[in-house]
Amino acid sequence: MSEVTAPLHTAQAPVAQISAPVEQDTRPAIDRSIRSVVTSLFATGVVWLLLSTLLSFVSAIKLQYPAFLNYSFLSYGRVTPAADFTLAYGWSALGLIGVAIWVLMRLSKRVAIGKGIACLGVGLWNLGLLIGTVSILVGEMRPFNGLEMPLSSAVLIFAGFSLVALWILLSLRVTESGLSIGALFIVGGLLWFGWSFLTGNLLTSCPSMRGATEQVIATWVSHGFIWLFLAPVALGVAYFLIPKVTGQPLYSGPLGRICFWLYFLVGGLTCMTGLSGGPIPLWLQSVSAAATILLLVPVAGSVFNLLTTASSSPLTKVSPAANFTRFGLVVFVSAAALSAISSFRSVSFAVHFTLFPMGVKLLLLQGFVGMVVFGAIYFIMPRLSGCEWISSSLIKIHFLCAAYGAAMGGAMLVLSGTFAGIDLADSGVAFSQSMQSSAFFYWGRTLSFALLGIAYAAFTLHFLLMVFRIGQPEGEATLLKGSHGH
Amino acid sequence: MNRSGLLFPGLFATFAISLSVMVFAPYSQIGTLAPDFKEEDGAISDVYPNAVAGLPEVGKRVYVSQGCQACHTQIVRSNLSADIKRGWGARRTVARDYVLEKGAAFGSTRLGPDLSNLGSESWRNEPIGDLDKPAKRDAQWHYLHLYNPLAINKYSIMPAYSHLFEVRKVSGLGSPEALVLPKESAPEAGFEVVPSADAKALVAYLASLNRSHPLKEAGAVSVAQKK
Repeated sequence: MSEVTAPLHTAQAPVAQISAPVEQDTRPAIDRSIRSVVTSLFATGVVWLLLSTLLSFVSAIKLQYPAFLNYSFLSYGRVTPAADFTLAYGWSALGLIGVAIWVLMRLSKRVAIGKGIACLGVGLWNLGLLIGTVSILVGEMRPFNGLEMPLSSAVLIFAGFSLVALWILLSLRVTESGLSIGALFIVGGLLWFGWSFLTGNLLTSCPSMRGATEQVIATWVSHGFIWLFLAPVALGVAYFLIPKVTGQPLYSGPLGRICFWLYFLVGGLTCMTGLSGGPIPLWLQSVSAAATILLLVPVAGSVFNLLTTASSSPLTKVSPAANFTRFGLVVFVSAAALSAISSFRSVSFAVHFTLFPMGVKLLLLQGFVGMVVFGAIYFIMPRLSGCEWISSSLIKIHFLCAAYGAAMGGAMLVLSGTFAGIDLADSGVAFSQSMQSSAFFYWGRTLSFALLGIAYAAFTLHFLLMVFRIGQPEGEATLLKGSHGH
Repeated sequence: MNRSGLLFPGLFATFAISLSVMVFAPYSQIGTLAPDFKEEDGAISDVYPNAVAGLPEVGKRVYVSQGCQACHTQIVRSNLSADIKRGWGARRTVARDYVLEKGAAFGSTRLGPDLSNLGSESWRNEPIGDLDKPAKRDAQWHYLHLYNPLAINKYSIMPAYSHLFEVRKVSGLGSPEALVLPKESAPEAGFEVVPSADAKALVAYLASLNRSHPLKEAGAVSVAQKK
């Protein structure tokens, strides 16, 4: 373990030298130029994360004790979409975009200019989130699963995104070596979000789009938001982080490129799993089911590629970034596998309307996207703040609680959905009885949100210290184990 | 990648394929469906579906605003599922059922039963022969159920929508709309519980839910099931 004791910065040096022998000195300047934008994205993201966890906790308790906090604005039907909205559009999106900006700017090796545009964008996005959350809680929502926020909120979010994206495009420069695989996934995800969110919201507000068609469009947007924006951007971040942290070149570049194209081509056809069994053409359901199964190929290919890369370095075990990212990747492939299994017709008919899909979503957002963002923030913040994380114990608490919380929460929802699905498929079992047989798992789910709450509180405290530059002196990376543990 | 120039067109192609296959193709197939009707000697009759209008239309907004779709679906699936056997509908629902609805409340999770046909007399959520099945689900039943679900089913996990009701002092003979409540959920003496305008609209909407009109594309419906 002697090489483990080397500071993290030194360990990355070989990679940096290969990719940018001349312009290494610009890195601190690049970091300075994006510090305010990236930090504000992380900071506001964390606020939404805490709010979302609180709302999810309330929503989970309500399933066990329906009379708990029985106020109209906190009723299950409002608090649940509000929790989903603040998690997906708040924390996951803002955190990921912050990470994406840092990664893209580092890769383009150019100091960013005109950050005022981006700051305005972040402000507009947050305003959209605020209006959306309040609207959902007072009942001003659209009946679209995953797209409940009213149009005003969607417009603000899109305007905010456009400004941030414009700033990225203005600052981005494709270097001679071209875009790395990580950057491909990130750019792909960002573009997908812009295109689909605009198209989908325009189409749903079109008066001639009604009934099932309108639900088809909304499902296309909300499914795409998770599978074609959040997931590929997080995957792209992992493609950047793993080689960077471990100092190892990516196991296979060609495999990465094939996975990238396959992911977007196939992923774009998975969107209608949310309406399986519903009043939409049968061929559409079949295409989505087949694509969902096929999507396992680029997901598993990417995860294999990255985990193989990581496994060859001893730093993988001690670097917080690598640990969070590796955990996220394993969850990603598990969630994709669960999705694939549940898209088989017989399974789908049993579990589709149960909490099973909610479990897969929880795994994706908390277990994969969230963990990758945390890993990246552990890597990025020291470079933005000029000091290292103060406590490796806090990172350990965060990691353990977040990992167990996400895995348990997802597993409980999936199990509860499976049992309820088996009962619901048997018309001899009374409906309320089928709900009771799955209720046992609600305990685990409520507990998992408590664990996630502890994890996120630990992270928030640590993050705040970093923002105020309270930490270890620069140069000695805070690692999880070994002589650098504190 | 030295072929960065391919990135934007390539990505846009994947997006365009997705939009065409997942959105435009189904739109061309089910987006422009018209209501079904019978035509005899130039007279049109039996038009289905009809637009939700009047009090039920207000009630639908209450339904969506209260987030009912978080736990209730309005989709009956084919016989590959138990939906029809459970008594939630005589046939599966099809695109034409929703063709006049802007913002149809499909729902995505069933923590409560499907409500596509709640207003139909044959709708049930209990196995055949179950003694828990109420004689009828009329407005009074819905009011009581919304006000206190536990008064109807002691295992219910539905929250009480008591905020849609007003608890007020009885004046004179009392309101004819006052809920007849079992002792455990009754207010103190001298007070009565009356439904608000929102509750009335919501119940009117629930009572209007009926998608059992036979449609060719939904498959044959036996006469026994129709009744």
